[in-house]
Amino acid sequence: MSAKLLHKEKWSEFTGRLSGKNLWAPAVQGEVKKFVPVAEGETVSLEGGNTTVPPKALIFPQTETLYRFSRGEEEPEPPAIDEEMVLLGVRPCDARAMALVEKLFRWDFDDPYYLKRRELTTLIGLACNEPEINCFCPSVGGSPASTEGLDILMTDLGESYLLEVLTDKGKAIAGAVEDLLEEAPAEALKQKEKLAEEALAGIKWSVDPEGIPEALPQLWEDPLWERVSAPCLGCGICTYLCPTCYCFDIQDEVEGSAGRRCRSWDSCMFAEYTVHTSGHNPRPSRRERTRNRINHKYSYFVDKFGEIACVGCGRCSSLCPVNIDLIDILRQVKAAQ
Amino acid sequence: MDLDKLRKTAAEIVSRDDVKYLIGWRRGTFGYRVSPHFVRDAAGADELIFSPLCISNLANYLTLVEKLPVPRGQEPDTRKVALMVKGCDSRAVAQLLAEKGIKREEVVVVGLPCPGMIDRKLLAEKYPETEQAAEIRWRGEDFVLVDGEEETVIPRAEVLAEKCRLCRHPNPVLSDVTVGEPVEPWAAAEDSGVAEIMAKNAEERWAYWEEQFSKCIRCYSCKNACPLCYCEDCILDRLDPIWVNRSVNFSENTAFHLARAFHLAGRCIECGECERVCPAGIPLGKLNRMLAQTVREEYEFEPGLDPEAEPFQASYKPDDPEEFIL
Repeated sequence: MSAKLLHKEKWSEFTGRLSGKNLWAPAVQGEVKKFVPVAEGETVSLEGGNTTVPPKALIFPQTETLYRFSRGEEEPEPPAIDEEMVLLGVRPCDARAMALVEKLFRWDFDDPYYLKRRELTTLIGLACNEPEINCFCPSVGGSPASTEGLDILMTDLGESYLLEVLTDKGKAIAGAVEDLLEEAPAEALKQKEKLAEEALAGIKWSVDPEGIPEALPQLWEDPLWERVSAPCLGCGICTYLCPTCYCFDIQDEVEGSAGRRCRSWDSCMFAEYTVHTSGHNPRPSRRERTRNRINHKYSYFVDKFGEIACVGCGRCSSLCPVNIDLIDILRQVKAAQ
Repeated sequence: MDLDKLRKTAAEIVSRDDVKYLIGWRRGTFGYRVSPHFVRDAAGADELIFSPLCISNLANYLTLVEKLPVPRGQEPDTRKVALMVKGCDSRAVAQLLAEKGIKREEVVVVGLPCPGMIDRKLLAEKYPETEQAAEIRWRGEDFVLVDGEEETVIPRAEVLAEKCRLCRHPNPVLSDVTVGEPVEPWAAAEDSGVAEIMAKNAEERWAYWEEQFSKCIRCYSCKNACPLCYCEDCILDRLDPIWVNRSVNFSENTAFHLARAFHLAGRCIECGECERVCPAGIPLGKLNRMLAQTVREEYEFEPGLDPEAEPFQASYKPDDPEEFIL
């Protein structure tokens, strides 16, 4: 690992240079903050909190074509995935989430779409100096300055950014802008450590997940599920905007003699998600669906991959229109144990 | 608002043998959040609140609750659901009754005259949220943010929700029990949001909605929060045939939103929940209010005022001049 310093007066040149590499960065559009492509000459600001839509949407698009087909053609045509992409300002929680989601897409089948896009993507992270209200990454194994999944971690030091170059992909980026960077002095690294400690101390919510994966199967019929799911609207906000949710549905869209097979995000909070062809639904109400969402993240994924499928970004709690709060649910799970 | 009286009334209602539970509001887990609160026993009533943050319409829970098959040997639970309603919310109940979506004997309506609600997003912009659950009250015309001993007066005009600026029915149109004194309706503001869009020409309007609908992530929160979107077999969920593809793009998103808007014409009671819950900030209220305005002006009909009224979309007059038919 090497550590570089980028003075902020060189920021626009830095982003300008990277914009030639298919650069994406957070921008606010109306009420929504999300990653958008950065055209040459456009200003990039990393001010403010995390994006509403997590960067997973770029590697695992909400709708993507698996292949096109047409009558008379024997071979389906998969789309070419060959464009490199650089994401700037990815928060450590979202980068960790990508590392978790990758476990699924590498599990019993190597998903070529996800893995190819992931391989072509370089993640330049931004350490969180000011955690938001619902952040709780340390409770689930993260930290505001975690490097997991990132190629470069940037830290805002005020006058400059500290760039910790972590991987070969990161090196390639640093190499392309080498003349804008200088070696980071030891005090810059010290300052970063101090900021990381302060950020950690600034996180308000916590829950100790110890025992939760084991407790959840025991609480299958516990009244807590009815209680916490009663206000649920059954919408897809908590899952669609969760960086570790990866469920999708596959459908064919046909017009005339040609069409495409595509996959779109799906959500276990929808009634339709588990409806059988017979009409039977093994998760007939929001109670079972809410229970599944929590069990999937805090029990099933742990059984299968050894880690909790939650990075503590707080989006589900912040964005829920009826204040269903993950920390509140986890505390109720602990209390019901 | 006399919270003691509210809680006492609620406790009495949920203690009745013929009431399953009561739905009201309680303080949320942080900031300006308020959560729907399902009160199942008298003790649960202690958490109830009615504050300027209780903007959500709870009437959707009357139809959102799943009708699960009753296990063999068990009797169906036919007890009533008690519901706290503001003026706008009560119109949803009245409209559900008019459409026979619910039966009168299934609900106990607790009416709460409403002095106007706060738009949480406007409030949070000016007075940032913290991890503490905030307390807000009405004071005269204005609102007051209470933090221990400290009180901050927030002028009404600064944070009043758009739907409340346009409100014509702050008092419940029907109720079994009312808590609080009726409020004096205020002069409803001109619907500048709708007027602004109607001032555009057709191309500009199309461009406007193209931008808006392109933002949609199809989370269905608007559909599920809407108290009048409750078809058991919804055209938007159909898989055979698929009327609206699951893929998320401008075309499918537009089909989704227009299907909903058409089905709500003459039925929408302007509670604004669709717009409030939208994570993408799509101004769905403007779309639905435009249709409501048209129905009001062209047909002299306003839904959700009379539970006995013939539903607008289900009515037919043999002497209708039908001037629009060529």
